[in-house]
Amino acid sequence: MKTILKVSKYFLIVLICAICLIPFYILIILSLNTPQRIFYEGNMFVPDFFLRNYVDAWNKSHIGTAIINSAVITIVALVIILVFGAMAAYTIARFNYKFNQLVFWLFMSCMMIPGIINTVPLYTLMIKLNAINTLWGMGLVCATIAMPSAVFIFTGFVKSLPREIEEAAIIDGCSWFTAFWKITFPLLKPSVAAVIILNGFGIWNNYAQAVFFLQDSKKHNIPQALSVYFQQFAGAHWNLMAATAVIAVIPVIIAFLMFQKNLMKGLTDGALKG
Amino acid sequence: MDAPASFLKGVLGMIKTKKIGLHTFMAVPAFLLFALFFIYPLIQGIGMSLTDWDGLGRSNFIGLQNFFDFFKDERAITDIKNTLLFALGSAPLLNIIGLIYALLMNGKFKGKGIARVIIYLPAVISPLIMGYIWYLLLQPERGFVFHALELIGKSSWLGNWLGDYTACMVVLVLVNVWQYAGMTMVIYLAGLQSIPEELYESAKIDGASYWSSFRYVTLPMLMPSIRINVVTNIIGSLAVFDIVMALTDGGPGYSTETLSIYIMRMCYGSKTGYSTAVALIMFFIILIPVIISMRLTREKE
Repeated sequence: MKTILKVSKYFLIVLICAICLIPFYILIILSLNTPQRIFYEGNMFVPDFFLRNYVDAWNKSHIGTAIINSAVITIVALVIILVFGAMAAYTIARFNYKFNQLVFWLFMSCMMIPGIINTVPLYTLMIKLNAINTLWGMGLVCATIAMPSAVFIFTGFVKSLPREIEEAAIIDGCSWFTAFWKITFPLLKPSVAAVIILNGFGIWNNYAQAVFFLQDSKKHNIPQALSVYFQQFAGAHWNLMAATAVIAVIPVIIAFLMFQKNLMKGLTDGALKG
Repeated sequence: MDAPASFLKGVLGMIKTKKIGLHTFMAVPAFLLFALFFIYPLIQGIGMSLTDWDGLGRSNFIGLQNFFDFFKDERAITDIKNTLLFALGSAPLLNIIGLIYALLMNGKFKGKGIARVIIYLPAVISPLIMGYIWYLLLQPERGFVFHALELIGKSSWLGNWLGDYTACMVVLVLVNVWQYAGMTMVIYLAGLQSIPEELYESAKIDGASYWSSFRYVTLPMLMPSIRINVVTNIIGSLAVFDIVMALTDGGPGYSTETLSIYIMRMCYGSKTGYSTAVALIMFFIILIPVIISMRLTREKE
């Protein structure tokens, strides 16, 4: 009985994993087939290795520029979130000032508000700031949207660290401010991974805001570039669509595999203790 | 007139003489950024929603006219219905499937790490790209899913789903659940791992079955994770944008359009004032279920 249960559990897990992976598999095969070939005809496991798709996809779509744009936006946003967010979380977790309480309350209540709610008035502000079609502007917007959840995760994590670690440094002549940079900030590493995974991919993949703020084709991020490209080709060139999607997805998968080990630790240590 | 300047000078002086530490102001940069790019537009939006502004010219105050117009617009009512239906399908499914995944993955077994990574993987991919991938797989006649259903003689299940409202909504919900079940799972896993083993042991000593220990130990201890998942899934589902854009583009016609797409299209259609009014309505549509679910999960904790 116990082995039957165990085997069926394994079977279920393998099935779930297969359901998660099959679309990726089909995507890769599609991207390697010649335009004439219909995916499920003939051998589904051996593609044509028609690499022209990738060359064409790279040349015809602006995916190369888009990857660089997405990378710049994501780095700008993540640096702001990690530095400002961790700083705010530190003082919120350690000092019970009225201002800190207000900021935390503000972040927690605004966490419930999706970005789309204020995108239209934000659009007019961005025009005034000359920030439309700029990567730094988009980075700032993305950082703002992700800030509440980052502060939430960091605050929970800082609270789980003993206050004594900073107090020891302060006895040695540090101020609370320098103690943060020297002692606390380096200890935040697991929650940094959680913040990057929970927010970084959302920023990299942002579409709802990019539609408004990145209209110039030279400034398109990945989803914007893909949607423009796919709308021109939809239905006609599946292999090119698939090849572009593969190119767009590879950096994300590499980054995810790099950070996934720290995710669980970051979440269990910090996120749920707010 | 110089009050803010002299206040600032005073503060700077106190920092220099170390009467106030810099740590007092560490929340200021995050606050300023948030105030400028989030709070200010949010408040400005309330004012804009009362005008007929087209985004360029001058705007006239028209009171609550935009809100009346919204509820008179059939397309807008359809969009509310779609948004709510999508959330009603997607948020509960995500939670149930995510919890089942987490319970399956919580034990010790070989390959646990890889399985978790695989299940989480779809969640890191752009929902827009995911939507396009599924669009290819689900194409009538040529898509892989159509072909697979044909093999078992059930191709009518899919049919020409793009032309059928119910089929479109089901596909949208299922693709969304497929993509984000892993994210819900990870939060539940974190919750499960914070439950002390002793609680299960004492339940076992008391002769509790698997189900009763699930009911009386796991579920109550899991409340913080349940709250996070329920709230984020409600918000995420009600604000759905990318997947709908990629899979149906709001079609056929405007029949599967959601509120966030409506806001974007109204803004592009130079109805700036009106689209901020829609955004405010959407804000309340999200707020109500979020507050209710927060209340419900807090009481049971």
